[in-house]
Amino acid sequence: MTTHQINRRSWLQTSATALTSVAAWKSPIIANAAAMRTNAKACILLWMGGGPSQFETFSPKPDHANGGETTVTSTAVSGIQISSQLPATAAAMKDLCLIRSVHGPEGSHPRASYVSHTGYLPTASVKHPTIGAHVVQHIGDQESELPSFVHIGRSRGVFSAGLLGVEYDPFILNSANQMPANTELSTSRDRYVRRLGLLENLEDDGSTEGSRQFVKANRNLYGKASRLVLSPQMKTFDITQERSDVRSSYGDGNFAAGCLMARRLVEAGVTFIEVASSNWDTHFDNASRTDTLCQEVDKPYAQLLADLKQRGLLDTTLVIWMGEFGRTPRINSRAGRDHYPRAFNVALAGAGVQGGQVIGATDASGNNITDQPVSVNDLLTTIYDALGIDSFHENISRIGRPIQIVEDGEIIDGVF
Amino acid sequence: MNCYSLSLRHTMTKHLNLVFFLAVWCFSPLVSFAQSPIEIAQKIDELLVSETIVSQTNICDDETFLRRAFFDIVGQPPSLEDVLVYGLEPSVNKRSLLIEFLLTDKTYGANWSRYWRDVIMFRRTNDQSLLGVAALESYLTDALNNGVGWDRIAVDFITAKGDIREDGRAVFIAAQQGRPEETVSEISRIFLGIQIQCAQCHDHPTDRWKQEQFHELVAFFPRVALRPQQEPRSFVVTATDFVGRRRTANANNRFVGTLEHTMPNLAEPTQPGQVMTPKFFVSGQTLPAGTSDAVRRDSLARWITSPDNPWFAKAVTNRVWAELVGEGFYEPVDDIGPDRTPSAPKTMDYLATEFTLSGYDLKWLMQTIMSTQAYQRSSLDRRNYDQIPFQANTIQPLRSDQLFDSMMSVFEISDAGSEGAGQGPRRPQSPRNVFADVFGYDPNDPRGDVTVSIPQSLAMMNSTFINEQIQARQGTMLSRLLQEVQSDRAAVQELYLRVFSRRPNRKELNTSLAYIIQVANRGESFEDLLWALLNSAEFKTRR
Repeated sequence: MTTHQINRRSWLQTSATALTSVAAWKSPIIANAAAMRTNAKACILLWMGGGPSQFETFSPKPDHANGGETTVTSTAVSGIQISSQLPATAAAMKDLCLIRSVHGPEGSHPRASYVSHTGYLPTASVKHPTIGAHVVQHIGDQESELPSFVHIGRSRGVFSAGLLGVEYDPFILNSANQMPANTELSTSRDRYVRRLGLLENLEDDGSTEGSRQFVKANRNLYGKASRLVLSPQMKTFDITQERSDVRSSYGDGNFAAGCLMARRLVEAGVTFIEVASSNWDTHFDNASRTDTLCQEVDKPYAQLLADLKQRGLLDTTLVIWMGEFGRTPRINSRAGRDHYPRAFNVALAGAGVQGGQVIGATDASGNNITDQPVSVNDLLTTIYDALGIDSFHENISRIGRPIQIVEDGEIIDGVF
Repeated sequence: MNCYSLSLRHTMTKHLNLVFFLAVWCFSPLVSFAQSPIEIAQKIDELLVSETIVSQTNICDDETFLRRAFFDIVGQPPSLEDVLVYGLEPSVNKRSLLIEFLLTDKTYGANWSRYWRDVIMFRRTNDQSLLGVAALESYLTDALNNGVGWDRIAVDFITAKGDIREDGRAVFIAAQQGRPEETVSEISRIFLGIQIQCAQCHDHPTDRWKQEQFHELVAFFPRVALRPQQEPRSFVVTATDFVGRRRTANANNRFVGTLEHTMPNLAEPTQPGQVMTPKFFVSGQTLPAGTSDAVRRDSLARWITSPDNPWFAKAVTNRVWAELVGEGFYEPVDDIGPDRTPSAPKTMDYLATEFTLSGYDLKWLMQTIMSTQAYQRSSLDRRNYDQIPFQANTIQPLRSDQLFDSMMSVFEISDAGSEGAGQGPRRPQSPRNVFADVFGYDPNDPRGDVTVSIPQSLAMMNSTFINEQIQARQGTMLSRLLQEVQSDRAAVQELYLRVFSRRPNRKELNTSLAYIIQVANRGESFEDLLWALLNSAEFKTRR
């Protein structure tokens, strides 16, 4: 462990800036409010890597040239319309809180992805922890035999626990259709256990006075790793154990398998799961490519919400649908849309989020936010709040700087 | 002891032949340095004793020294032959001879180029710069092997231009996408050990730097830009002296320079900020507005590497000392000034001054530090903060490349030929890079904070690659050993020598032999033994 709860008083004594004193004043109130309301236990982040087009998903503009050919569909909530490319999601609208007015500070993929996951611009001096790392540090089950933070799918950037240390790094599944790397025993179970015993005995024989720390850390680690691979819970990662009708209800493809795996993991007590969908970077042929991507995502997304609800898990699980930015209102000469961080969409569900509503709006052209702008940091603050985590909590960087989980974020009005 | 059977067999000594070296040395003069490293080392030990009250002078044994020196200079363990030959060598100054010899081996440059690559690349804010990693390694390897001074290397990085796949010097700037704020922060952090970027948004809370001084440093770099290039896909570090294009935060992946740097007005972000002129915060030297990019960067590089700037020598001296002795005078190694107190200030200053006089010669620095008793002491776990420093050499986790090369060496295989793979973010990965994804750590971080992870132990325990190599079937190191050494006792001893460069102690030998009897299958029991040795803490550390 490399972080420490900051002693706020000593920090304030050395540097009483307005910002930190506000933080110190506000923090307990917000933390208590969150703790009273939420009993959230888990979070699933559905990451739309590349930046999904808001016009072809949650903010269609059929009456404006910028809207292109995309048509709209009514949803389960009267008055709310979304793109007709998302029929299953439209039917699940009662559980969804759409935010149509998110704006971010960055237009390049890696930088915007970093901001969306950490709340900070990338710097060389501090590696900021990703959402999942903060979440498992605060509400993860330390006794769990399964890793608390699982990332499913190859995406462009997998962000780390940074200054929180590798203990909170994601456990990566390249695909939900395969068992995680290096967890299948290379020998019989008996021989594996026998080998572990030999390792332990030889380390006892060989360790000298001066090398106990490393031997102890190694033993601790091998204990955890071998408990994982020998755990009966490892079968959670085996998606073929799921009934075939349940598998087909999620649809086909890696993202569908990822959503089903996420539900299996939540059921098994895993705290944070990120499921990555990629290829939303539609600089050309935006409409047709987004259509394909929507087909990959629509059914699994809606089924995940329905399945969690049916199992009584949606009240305690926050489900986030987001990408790093949106796409330009103007359609470019290659029938594509480029990067647009000034107005994009995020959808939240579960964990006390009021479904069946839309927050924020853009004008008819989609260029400008006209109602309730939501910064990425507001969004992150709201996510942490839904999970009962104090976003003013400070971790200490390697060189002793206090780093708040999120700076300058406000809880979005009306989400809860 | 079981030396006899060894010479009968061809062992793959990858790069060293100590027999040759020791024989040749008898007839050849020593390389001579301006300042004799051994004399300087003695003074360092005297100073260190006076400053830290070193209570013990327990010097490590030759086996430990050999393995430590190999890891520290060439990044891999000694071969079985090296261990045996070195043990038999009677020369009293064989430690000095070993250090000198290893510093002439080309693997020295490769090992330390990987260290500096990690120092730079672990802090990248731009993954596209990964395209230039092979060129960066190649530049550093040559520079280090050829004895290029640290000042020249710093100048090369600060003034670099060009295609990052062709010229590794440009990768330093590309790692920060050419963004002036991040680039100068890294220059200051790596070459001066000063974390001035904390003053980016406000006056530094604990140091003396002011926000203005940070932005005056940024003003050396506004004209730098990173341009993408197609066919072949790459990125080029350039400078714009005539066209001052506006920098836009939201442009698609592009980053272009401006003619002058503007300090943002943080109180009123919508108001135009203040145009800054270049000024180096250490010396106060300045340049006027309108100065060309070439003059700006040449001047900064010259001022940073000037012998009048003490931070330049201190930063690298402290880093190399920390890598070798296991603990820096300052920790973390990249946060040394100006208001930090080193654990042995006189020793630190003396070593840094002598390093400056050597012409910033990194081989001289290595040889000097490794000649000290401080380096040659027995190793211990990292001390607690309330204990006196430098009572022992500190045990360190191996860096990913060192661990990978150790395995290659134990298995008697090589990854030569696969180095070309995996140079870009989306190319097929070489085995070394796959390994680094799991085992790599940021060498800038205090070594005590480097923690081991579950995926690391899963890879060591269960990966197909390792489990194939530890099998006793035809073609592996283990099969050759078992075939040629009939006695179990001798085979256990040789396996220990191969994996740990030492013999087993009595208890280890007895445990191993008892296990072999219990399993009652020679091949299987030795596979398990090799598995256990590779998975032990000792294999993964340098002590």
